Amino acid sequence: MDETPLLSVRDLTVAFDTRRGSFDAIRGVSFDLRPGRTLGVVGESGSGKSVTAMAMMRLLPEAARVTAGQVRFAGRDLRTITERQMRSVRGREIAMVFQDPMASLNPIFTIGHQVMEPLVLQLGLAGSAARARATELLSLVRIPSPAQTMRAYPHELSGGMRQRVMIAIALSCGPKLLIADEPTTALDVTTQAQILELLSDLQHTLHMSVLLITHDLGVVATFADDVLVMYAGRIVERSPVAALFEQPGHPYTEGLLRSMPPLEDDDPEVLPAIEGNVASPFTMPSGCAFHPRCRYAWDACTRILPSLMSVGERHDAACLRHASVTA
Amino acid sequence: MTALVRADNLVKHYPVVSGAFRKRVTGSVRAVDGVSFTIARGETLALVGESGCGKSTTGRLLMRLVEPTAGTVRFDNLEISELDSKQLRAARRRMQLVFQDPGSAFNPRMTVASLIAEPMRLAGLSAAARRARVLELLPLVGLAAEHAARYPHEFSGGQRQRIGIARALALQPDFVVCDEPVSALDVSVQAQVINLLTNLQRVFGLTYLFISHDLRVVRHVADRVAVMYLGRIVEIADKVTLYRTPQHPYTRALLSAVPAHRPGAVRSRTEVVGEIASARAVPPGCRYHTRCPAVMPVCRTDDPALVDLGDGHRSACHLVHAVH
Repeated sequence: MDETPLLSVRDLTVAFDTRRGSFDAIRGVSFDLRPGRTLGVVGESGSGKSVTAMAMMRLLPEAARVTAGQVRFAGRDLRTITERQMRSVRGREIAMVFQDPMASLNPIFTIGHQVMEPLVLQLGLAGSAARARATELLSLVRIPSPAQTMRAYPHELSGGMRQRVMIAIALSCGPKLLIADEPTTALDVTTQAQILELLSDLQHTLHMSVLLITHDLGVVATFADDVLVMYAGRIVERSPVAALFEQPGHPYTEGLLRSMPPLEDDDPEVLPAIEGNVASPFTMPSGCAFHPRCRYAWDACTRILPSLMSVGERHDAACLRHASVTA
Repeated sequence: MTALVRADNLVKHYPVVSGAFRKRVTGSVRAVDGVSFTIARGETLALVGESGCGKSTTGRLLMRLVEPTAGTVRFDNLEISELDSKQLRAARRRMQLVFQDPGSAFNPRMTVASLIAEPMRLAGLSAAARRARVLELLPLVGLAAEHAARYPHEFSGGQRQRIGIARALALQPDFVVCDEPVSALDVSVQAQVINLLTNLQRVFGLTYLFISHDLRVVRHVADRVAVMYLGRIVEIADKVTLYRTPQHPYTRALLSAVPAHRPGAVRSRTEVVGEIASARAVPPGCRYHTRCPAVMPVCRTDDPALVDLGDGHRSACHLVHAVH
């Protein structure tokens, strides 16, 4: 397998300016995504997982700016190419799917119109060829009656069907990378499972890379090859999926795994919860941002910000406990 | 085992009105369509199902926050549907609701103390009694006394849910309807709130109706579980039986759709196709037949009854009935 990363992010830092002052939404984010693999990005609201994706795509809101870092994609530096080149990357090479398909679909145009649009604009297909290809894409995402759906309007479809349409649009130009930001969070469990299975099948047949952003560790366990765990704007752990679940290297990851109620195993009377609340960007704790909630924290954790340290093969965690072992 | 809550054949249909000028009733949404169950004192019954299955409406019907189209609710010795408005207000002091997102239900200009005290004020308690009770409630839900003077926007989602729980407990209810109480919370905070709810139940002997779409959470908190599909209960059993030997194809589909706990776990492909049908056009026969992998001719014509399979395990499926 080709091990050259398709996407390589180094030390990415994004600052937000707000009325209450400026803060870093993400700091020093570094990771690689290899061709044909799925990288799961797990974290809670405000952890910076969506900001990371938006910064890569140069789609940050006005109040935000990238203050440091590189984003290399298929041999180019996405931070320095022109806006025109970037538009072509966004249209043809990197596609995105979001949580709420209704917000991305235009209510006044038919599904057919919206699936055909990128085929015409980006690939230059003519009317009938675009129509044929659009119908094909709808059946690729397993929409039961594609020809009929081409004539439908977004409001006539269920949430699951709309998300399939969004995936069809995302795939229309044969992207190398698909960024899926909480693609199933708004959907029911049975629909979620169908959409995730669809994404995973498509990824294998089309040999795409997928960046799967989610708050759900179960989704990561089932569908990701590698995982980034983010907390308070930083990557706190980076690992192949099996190692993350077997031997979590960061206390936050460990806490998340322990607090998840089991579906088959013995159920503890009291769930081992992580105490405290998610750190706010304005009252970011000193040292390791997780230390006020950490059951292993000691005085050094309040002063020293740990960097990612190796705890296994391709497995890194940002926790001082590992420094004391190796030092 | 005495039932604190008994729902008998609850029905809620909403009329569908069409026409731009002359409004006409052209159909109905069968949100809840014949639901019966009991909840014993001190027990947690979980109501699970996907959006639109009628689980939240069922919770509101129990408290008569929504008027039923048909059916009755018995709470302790009261026939809820027969109470006049004064009696109903008195009964509602004993039944409270915890919402998914308490933040959106709070008046942002009220302090935490006045938010928690509001139900007591409406019930006519004195200012001194209210203040004393608020100070009693704050530590019970894991908040500090100094939080009393602050405003809801100063709190995180988990803390806001603690305020919502304190408010629900203010009048010492017997019965609490928890409607997706942790769904809007960050994963690392969900377990804290679940532990709080189970602990309060133990301390005060509360009875819960726990409405959720999350089968992991339900397995942890429930004693018994009822699975709803398109306005009906399709299976109900004690927790262990339901998770170990689910009988209804829909229950099995729901369980198979939960993402695994760890990678590499043997995972069969999801046993479900399509999506929930519309409550405006409920399929004839068994409501689930349009998605069921084991559909038989009888399923398209006959509506299966909820049949007892022993030990209070009931399922509404022709296939299961044929075997038993």
